[in-house]
Amino acid sequence: MFTDEAQEPVSIRSAWRTSQQSAQDSIGCQTRAVHSAEAEVQTLSTAVSWTQTQPHDEAQELLLQPAADRLDPPGLKAFLQRVEDTVIRELDRNGRSHAFDEFQVNWEDQSQPVSCLHCLQHPSAQERGLHVTSVSWSCTGSVIACAFGRTDDGDWITEPSCVCTWNLDRRGLNPKQADLVIDVATAVTALCCHPQQPALIAGGLYSGEVVVWDTSRTQDPVLVQTGMSADSHREPVYQVAWVPLQKAGEFGVLSACSGGRVLLWTGDLNEGRFVLNAAYALVPQQVPHSSYVSFKARGSSTVGVTSLALSPWDPDTFLVGSEGGLLLRCSFSSQTPAAVPSEGHNVTLRAPAVFVFRPRSGPVHSIHCSPFHRNLFVSAGTDGRAHLHSLLQADPLLSLRVSDSSVFQVQWSPSRPLVFAAAAAQGEVHIFDLGRRSLRPAATIEQGGADQAATCLAFNSQNSHLLALGRTNGTVCIWQLSHDLTEQSPREISQLEQIANQVAA
Amino acid sequence: MLVEETLKRIQSQNGVQGIIIINSEGIPIKTTLDNASTVQYAGLIHQLVMKARSTVRDIDPQNDLTFLRIRSKKNEIMIAPDKDYFLIVIQNPSD
Repeated sequence: MFTDEAQEPVSIRSAWRTSQQSAQDSIGCQTRAVHSAEAEVQTLSTAVSWTQTQPHDEAQELLLQPAADRLDPPGLKAFLQRVEDTVIRELDRNGRSHAFDEFQVNWEDQSQPVSCLHCLQHPSAQERGLHVTSVSWSCTGSVIACAFGRTDDGDWITEPSCVCTWNLDRRGLNPKQADLVIDVATAVTALCCHPQQPALIAGGLYSGEVVVWDTSRTQDPVLVQTGMSADSHREPVYQVAWVPLQKAGEFGVLSACSGGRVLLWTGDLNEGRFVLNAAYALVPQQVPHSSYVSFKARGSSTVGVTSLALSPWDPDTFLVGSEGGLLLRCSFSSQTPAAVPSEGHNVTLRAPAVFVFRPRSGPVHSIHCSPFHRNLFVSAGTDGRAHLHSLLQADPLLSLRVSDSSVFQVQWSPSRPLVFAAAAAQGEVHIFDLGRRSLRPAATIEQGGADQAATCLAFNSQNSHLLALGRTNGTVCIWQLSHDLTEQSPREISQLEQIANQVAA
Repeated sequence: MLVEETLKRIQSQNGVQGIIIINSEGIPIKTTLDNASTVQYAGLIHQLVMKARSTVRDIDPQNDLTFLRIRSKKNEIMIAPDKDYFLIVIQNPSD
């Protein structure tokens, strides 16, 4: 009944498994032939022309006596004809002569050495261990004003300090007792005497206030102060300076603080308060960029100002040194608004920075513009070197090694164009003479060790042989400089010009 | 004007800083400096020229002053005296 059957196998083709090989097509393409052609051009005719500006005729002021000489006085023509040839011959010969090249005359007594005249102290400030933070001579050159405070504390200082003045020309000068003591609620960090009125002294306080004292008033010496308004600084004021305003004879006070603000105040004498005239804020984003500066604008949002210098030649320029080592040239008339949130100031904040110099590696403690050349200034900071800059270029012209520690203050001499003095943290003061071949200091004042660091110095512009030096032990020493550090020699101005002209093209 | 041309020629010499012409009484007549300096120079130099002239003539009455030069640290002052006028030229020779 059951038999074996043999069937054909049945296969079902897969429906889903298709060949994985994609379809292939062959296509070729060819760009069209590129057409090229050659042509030549030759100038057939040329023309050359040039222009030349006319030299500016200098207006010469001729002093004419009223009415009497519309015509020249009689005989003037004949006189000039007689003398002209002789004079021109002498002028020409004098210009070419080398007879007096190294000739110098000694009118003053040469043998004055550098010596300490006075050592002024204020005992109560010394007991409290206050340091001298700033010294300033009055405009008459006879009164030295000293500010006491601290230079090393990082904490907020609440102990009161004082400002003392001594009159060195008074017969009864007592080095241990100041002629005038002004008590101040907080530490005074900056001081500047008025350039024309001997009784006024401007000071900047640790709390950010700016005060002007009138030493001629016996009752209350405070003449004007800023108070703690929304306009004023919140950080210590590191420098104050008197700035001549538009009206001749009027001065305003410029103050710079480590919060990155530079404020210009005018005094309202009726109210005894300062009115904000102009305000400048420095922020890292608005620092002009140059190829030397790779300043990354991160971290701090302000450029803390530690030093300020006014240019005596250009009323619009001022120089600013910051905690981060920036050195900036700023302009009073800059109109760019500052990129900071306005905190209720009455005056719009402006960004004054115009040019940035090569930055340093530490805070710039001091800048000073040369009183003899409009382009030169010297700056010093924690790197222990004094750098001589020209306003025209970013790199320094000269870098002089002052000491191993930081340099707190540097200042040009008011009588010799090539001399400047630098005060170092280890207590010595070096006086450099750029006219000498070597780069070592011409004179060094050494006294004590690191516990007597020299924090500030000031040349006396009236008596150019006096130099005041403030120390951290609370004493102010008055030094008398020797003759060759104070007497200008004939070729100094031209030597200074040569140094200033070393600006790289 | 001959006077102006002459002054221009002298002014164009090397290093000349200023020219003053004063009369025999010491009053400045022509100048290229500002008023304050001119008056100062005129007063002081007139006295000095008178003193120099009397010195020369006291030593030898036949002699007379022809030219006076004062050299200082910063510049040189040349004075050409005459009967009616003095010509003062201030030159900085190192310019």
